[in-house]
Amino acid sequence: MKIDHVLTTCPYCGTGCNFYLQVVNERLIGVIPCKTDEISQGRLCIKGYNAHTFVQHPDRLKHPMIKEKGKMRKASWDEALDKIVSEIKRITSEHGNDSVAVFASAKCTTEENYLFQKLARSAIGTNNVDHCARLCHASTVAGLVYSFGSGAMTNSIPEFEDANCILVTGSNTLEAHPLIGSRILKAMENGAQVIVIDPRDTPLSRLAQFTLHQKPGSDIAWINGMIRVIIEEGLFDKEFVDGRTELFEELKQVVQQYTPEEVEKITGIEPKMLVDAARTYAKADRSMIAYAMGITQHSNGTDLVKSLANLAMVTGNVGKESTGVNPLRGQCNVQGACDAGCLPDFYPGYQKVNDTGANKKFRGAWKSNLSTKVGSTITSTMEKMESGEIKGLIIFGENVMVSDPDIAHIEKALNSLDFFALVEIFPSETSKFADVILPAACYAEKDGTFTNTDRKIRMLRKAVGPPGEAMPDWKIACELGKKFGAEGFDFSSPAEIMDEMASLAPIYGGVSHGRADTEVISWPCPTKDHPGTKVLHVDGFKMGRGKFAPVHHSPPNEEPSEEFPMVLSTGRNLFQFHTGTMTRKSPKLEQEAPEPYVEINSGDAKMLGIEDGSRVRVTSRRGSIALVAKVTERIIPGTIFIPFHYAEAAANRLTNPAYDPIAQIPELKVCAARIERS
Amino acid sequence: MNDPGKEISRLAFDERGADYLLAVREEYGNAGPAFVAKGEDVGDIRTDIPYQLVTILRKIYPYMEDGKIAVVIRRCEEKALNELIKRGIIDGDRIIRIGLACSEGQIEACRCTDPVPSCVDIGSPGKGWNEDQLSKELSAMSSEERLDFWVAQFRKCNKCYACSTNCPVCVCDHCVLEECTFVAEKGIPPGMAFHLIRAYHLSDKCTECGECERSCPAHIPLLTFRKMTNRDMKDLYGYESGDTETVSPLLTTLEGDLLEEEED
Ligand code: SF4
Ligand code: SF4
Ligand code: SF4
Repeated sequence: MKIDHVLTTCPYCGTGCNFYLQVVNERLIGVIPCKTDEISQGRLCIKGYNAHTFVQHPDRLKHPMIKEKGKMRKASWDEALDKIVSEIKRITSEHGNDSVAVFASAKCTTEENYLFQKLARSAIGTNNVDHCARLCHASTVAGLVYSFGSGAMTNSIPEFEDANCILVTGSNTLEAHPLIGSRILKAMENGAQVIVIDPRDTPLSRLAQFTLHQKPGSDIAWINGMIRVIIEEGLFDKEFVDGRTELFEELKQVVQQYTPEEVEKITGIEPKMLVDAARTYAKADRSMIAYAMGITQHSNGTDLVKSLANLAMVTGNVGKESTGVNPLRGQCNVQGACDAGCLPDFYPGYQKVNDTGANKKFRGAWKSNLSTKVGSTITSTMEKMESGEIKGLIIFGENVMVSDPDIAHIEKALNSLDFFALVEIFPSETSKFADVILPAACYAEKDGTFTNTDRKIRMLRKAVGPPGEAMPDWKIACELGKKFGAEGFDFSSPAEIMDEMASLAPIYGGVSHGRADTEVISWPCPTKDHPGTKVLHVDGFKMGRGKFAPVHHSPPNEEPSEEFPMVLSTGRNLFQFHTGTMTRKSPKLEQEAPEPYVEINSGDAKMLGIEDGSRVRVTSRRGSIALVAKVTERIIPGTIFIPFHYAEAAANRLTNPAYDPIAQIPELKVCAARIERS
Repeated sequence: MNDPGKEISRLAFDERGADYLLAVREEYGNAGPAFVAKGEDVGDIRTDIPYQLVTILRKIYPYMEDGKIAVVIRRCEEKALNELIKRGIIDGDRIIRIGLACSEGQIEACRCTDPVPSCVDIGSPGKGWNEDQLSKELSAMSSEERLDFWVAQFRKCNKCYACSTNCPVCVCDHCVLEECTFVAEKGIPPGMAFHLIRAYHLSDKCTECGECERSCPAHIPLLTFRKMTNRDMKDLYGYESGDTETVSPLLTTLEGDLLEEEED
């Protein structure tokens, strides 16, 4: 009789709760929250409590498979790996290294992601490596790097409790990041004022003191409007603005035209509400901003993030505890995948691939000829696949057929490939297109680290063995690297991989498994004796001064028309996660939210003769899906909302792939659509 | 007794003949549940972190084919264990108890009226708390005010089911809270029915261990809610949970006895 309780990290949202997996004779039977964990404090959300259920599901992929004459057949590891290497080599020798791309995974460990980008850069020879951060927080990285010099959450999760004011926008925190929501509830109990700005009512907005509903895609207008009120009324932090920022005069100029009345015209927010919210945010001693995809997933997402940074800097709410601009990252390790360099323009630790110094350093370390040409993002890779410029693709654990915008386009792109290899834990909508499928181990079956949304290095510890012949992704990447003939893929453990990454990425310089095993470290942590950094920018910004961004409101790429009169927004619900690959195999989660639905305002519904529970059809310029209507007061008229978890009515058949010119993040949050009874 | 681990392991394995020990242990800079077999190193045992070990025991018990299991239990866990034995869920003969008297700090955190286990092996007996401040404040309110208070609290609920998952005596195989017949609302927060059903279902089992309150991410004062319900059970039926014999009035009233008595 062997019973173990293995401390590990939740595989769902970026909060990074730790918990114990209960293992009885190699079988996972439950999850016990960890009472001494700094992040979760012995609490979890329903996804965390059910995180063991999908792991040993019978549908897990157990053997490598190769497609032959349109049919999948079992293959040995050697055969499958050889096939990948020879196909990719054939493509690169015929069409050049940049005709291949690698998609890394925010669900894999940081160590694995480090190897994925090393594989792309050093073994294949291309910077075409990217991951789903492109779809959620690419604009955060670009925007915050511009404003502050670093693209990550400025403060830490526990600090929410001590804030006097919390402004939450574009984040359904209680559902998408429940344990961060829990901190916000605690702050309210301690007397904090909470301002929620969202087109929908959310569980948090119903509890908050201030709820403002803006029209989707109008955010820069209300932010500029608030900044204008703050400057007009002398509520800005002159000392901070003079001492630590630049371009204030330009910002002042730009916001001038955003009078509360003007803002109302653009956003629909009542002038008095705007002014009250602005005053509350500015007058509080410590004000925090939290935001998520409602801000980033726009064709001007980078500008939007910069505007939030403007708001924080005007009021001096940066570089102190319980302040800052705090992007809440959606996936367990989207932060770590970015840190590890799974971005087409950055080596590990945000060192630019086109910087000669950085290029030289990595050439030396990896003993390989590295390209200085910035690679292709997921969004442009999809276009290049369709046009035939990119012919080979390796994906580690992403279900692009549900998660990416405009699925019809993606289907076409995947079909145009010469060769496509997929590493996954379950068969998915995407796996149907693969030429080779490799079975991977999931979070409970391997060691490694995730970096959560507040830059903390969180340990994963192996609780059970993987099913069948499945292997952890880091081993798969090592095998592939070796078969490509590249040097530096001889790792015997994730701890060794982290050591190499730490030696090359200064922000991880002091990170090791030895330390992370017993200590909670937040990067930057440059040396072994450095305690890590909870609050960023305390003693100044990386580039000297924080930079205001004078930006104007611009309408979304696609506005409602006669044919498509509604604004469609997408997002998540509490019980499902992303494309549902894991949650939909957890009975308790599936039972809570089994069916795809579209939320519609009761007034709109009445006009269209739609009742709660009616079957309806939603159509955009790109596609059409059938689902059930949920009639509610909780969404503003003229707007509809669909959670994107469901393959059978995938919201991303409808969404607009138009993207932000800087970060190339697609406009998943707004497009024009029509809804009718079916 | 500087190292409670040594003493606990001696009591469990040498003195009382256990095959396994369930306790709380420090590992990786955190304290968590540990299940050790006789002969294995028990490690760095902690007695100051209130894991609900009876809940953990209940989860692993169905997989335990043989052997005696020693559990470090506080008074509330001892009572919960009794409730499980009474209901035939756990065989009392297979469980060896190692009584832990709670610290002053823990007693205060639980506003606990009954903190001393029947046999104290570890720690020294502390004095029970008289009254829960919040219960007192709520009792002084009008019933409308009281209702408003709870409605506002339950609006924060995130439906994580922690209050039932972590409860030592929430034992149904099939939970009605998960059914839309009883809790109609899809999404969050669930309606009042969710919390009221739980209140009724546990009214004859709850041992005021406070685990629901500790693990509630919405910071709802669930222990106060329990204490007030339990007080009603005591006042109305003279029933208190926690021993191995007393039959629940929820069972007897179905046959009509106690209700008739009330009318007299
Ligand atoms: S809040 Fe996020 S990390 Fe924590 S248990 Fe829930 S899904 Fe997991
Ligand atoms: S206090 Fe809460 S967790 Fe403990 S027995 Fe009562 S209902 Fe269950
Ligand atoms: S623990 Fe709290 S939040 Fe979770 S279901 Fe119970 S009352 Fe709701």
